[in-house]
Amino acid sequence: MLTSIVVLFTLAQAPTASPAAPAPQRPSQASPAAQSTPKRASNETYPAEQVRAGATMFAAQCGFCHGRDATGGQTGPDLTRSTLVAEDARGDKIIPVVRTGRPDKGMPPFNLSDADLAALVAFIHDQQIKAESQQGGRRAVDESDLQTGDARAGQAFFNGAGGCARCHSPSGDLADVAARLKGLELLQRMLYPSGRGGARTPAKATVTLASGQAITGRLAYRDEFLIAIKDAEGWQRSWRTSDVKVTIDDPLEAHAALLPKYTDTDMHNVLAYLQTLRQAVKP
Amino acid sequence: MTRSALSLLFCASIAAVHAQGLDPAMLLKAAPDSWPTYHGDYTGQRHSKLTQITPDNVRQLTLSWAFQTGQAAQIKASPILVNGIIYVTTPDNMWAIDARSGRQIWRYTHPKNEGFHIGHRGAAIYKDFVYLTTPDARLVALDARDGKVRWNVEIEDARRGFWSTMAPLVVRNHLIVGVSGDFDNLPGTLKSFDPETGKVQWTFYSTPPPGTAGAISGGATGGQMWITGTYDPELNLVYVGTGNPTPVLNGPVRPGDNPWTCSILALNPDTGTLAWGFQASPHDTHDWDAAEVPVLIDAPFNGQPRKLLLQASRNGYFFVLDRTTGKNLLTTPFAAANWAQEIDKDGRPVPDPAKEPARDGRLVAPNEGGGTNYRSPSFDPKTGTLIVSAVDGYGIYFFKEEHGDYGWAGADYGVYSKGFLRAIDYQTGKLRWQHDIGSGSGAGVLTTDSGLTFTGDSTGNLLALRTSDGTTLWHSAIGGVGNGPITYELDGRQFMVVGGGGVLYSFALPEQPRSTQSSR
Repeated sequence: MLTSIVVLFTLAQAPTASPAAPAPQRPSQASPAAQSTPKRASNETYPAEQVRAGATMFAAQCGFCHGRDATGGQTGPDLTRSTLVAEDARGDKIIPVVRTGRPDKGMPPFNLSDADLAALVAFIHDQQIKAESQQGGRRAVDESDLQTGDARAGQAFFNGAGGCARCHSPSGDLADVAARLKGLELLQRMLYPSGRGGARTPAKATVTLASGQAITGRLAYRDEFLIAIKDAEGWQRSWRTSDVKVTIDDPLEAHAALLPKYTDTDMHNVLAYLQTLRQAVKP
Repeated sequence: MTRSALSLLFCASIAAVHAQGLDPAMLLKAAPDSWPTYHGDYTGQRHSKLTQITPDNVRQLTLSWAFQTGQAAQIKASPILVNGIIYVTTPDNMWAIDARSGRQIWRYTHPKNEGFHIGHRGAAIYKDFVYLTTPDARLVALDARDGKVRWNVEIEDARRGFWSTMAPLVVRNHLIVGVSGDFDNLPGTLKSFDPETGKVQWTFYSTPPPGTAGAISGGATGGQMWITGTYDPELNLVYVGTGNPTPVLNGPVRPGDNPWTCSILALNPDTGTLAWGFQASPHDTHDWDAAEVPVLIDAPFNGQPRKLLLQASRNGYFFVLDRTTGKNLLTTPFAAANWAQEIDKDGRPVPDPAKEPARDGRLVAPNEGGGTNYRSPSFDPKTGTLIVSAVDGYGIYFFKEEHGDYGWAGADYGVYSKGFLRAIDYQTGKLRWQHDIGSGSGAGVLTTDSGLTFTGDSTGNLLALRTSDGTTLWHSAIGGVGNGPITYELDGRQFMVVGGGGVLYSFALPEQPRSTQSSR
């Protein structure tokens, strides 16, 4: 029955919706919590009254996803560690996101007055300023928390039971993975690379028409009734699934298949092994 | 005039006044031209006896009307329908809509407030009162005719972190209302209000505050009852599920099972006293509410006719209980779950301490969203299956002492999830079929006696499936579907009404041309 998984790829920093259909209520699959607080572009401070108004507004409208203190909730990332917030100056980056939402990641658009938006921006920046001076005691995962594995055992799992070596190479695609990705982000992408940081590894779809013509491209969208690919020229093309034969080549399926098999020890061991891969080895 | 004549006259005048309202006795047998409560009736089965729309003609289903809320907020509510008027809600809003045309009769907007605006489950109606719970944890009684405020009372103090999304449950002259509040350590609180005056009749604590008689929760707070319960009039018991304990991910600070968090409870609606409790997740540390709908069916189990309660719970397990006694009859997983060591003699999954959130992270199924969530399942009596929106998901869960012991007190991140609609045999827990609905949660479910199942997938398609095997018969891409559709018959025509994004849609079979009708 029926259909195989819909694979949605989104880039965390992409300001526009992915070509995939909006997926309401889907939790963001990645969190920037592994990052330390990014360096702020602006030293602006905000009046206490505006921050207070923003706190109220934030709690009501944003808190359920981003946490009442903006440090992240069940479906929304920690904004105090957000690069976008750090790069924002008086709302130039935050306000467009609030107004248009990020439908690809389940964030709805918000229709707020300019004063409310300004207060929100003030509160979010104030929380980020506080976060810079207050690293302890927060709901965060630090790189130092993730050092419990055995790299040698992880290497054995990588080459053996885990089957990682079938697609990955410590001297190839993963040669400098520990230099590119750290802490929680490395762990998350190791478990299931849902698109944050690093290169995207999109699934390919081959659509065979009734005429026998086969078209291959990056999988752009799939549900039970529709298949869409991005073709070589960048056009999205779609067909009714009932009219065509579809083959999906999704390298990430191996990651999903591993999730029920990992023990926590395996997981920490493979992470420890990946953390040793810091240098690109040039052939 | 004699006394009896007087009282007769009095009764007659009451009947006249409330002729267009809802007599709560009607809830015992909901009429086909109504959907008078959140679940449609007291059982929570969300199964309709209507058969005009069938597997053979469902492909002709067509749009009757669409009502634009004009809101960005998705409609997650179940609408209710009484006397040809639909009442539908989003946070801070209620609309009364003509069920024949989709035209607005009135709209109530709650004053701007600081509460959580996460979602809203729906309205409740009693006589000519209609009720809205609010993000600032208030209960507002409106005149069902024009939306004017009759009264507005506090359920709990929103400044402490309470909010409410719940569709109240009406049982005779009780209006039973729950709250939410996961970001603060708050006692699990359910209240019964007088539906006419708004006065509190009783308060039940699932986690009695320290110092209260029967403080049994082992230091845990939480256990909020945020989904509308069900009711057995013969036993006079209301069934509610309770939410997770707080602090949420910090287990060590609240040792023991933490009753009655993550539990299914039976309460006397007249007094709020606990008849029995069953804990679906003892000592939960993963935010797995057992608040999901406790579905009531009268059906054989192992050859014996029984009063049963079914719940597909957020922790990934399906439970069958005897609802008279609370005794467990069946516990079996219906979604990916790797957190339990065993099932104990009372039918409770025993949590594996190795899967408690830890400093270096634990890979746990389900993820925080759970094996299922607020989306109501449906029980189809003909096939004997509970049809539920299920997710196989994995998350990583962290807790370290530095996270403290207040509110969330930890961190967790979804890694991967895949959604299915699953048909669970209520006697064995085995899956009869499953239907792939994409990479996340689907929607609530409605079944009908003609053998149809209506639901939504995770990409915004409304689906009609054949209940016996899950085959797709019809679909329409209407946008994100929250809870399941409702159905009713008006003017001889069966309608199916469902929220897609911020729009409420009504579908029906095409109208017969008038000439055809008159020539019949």
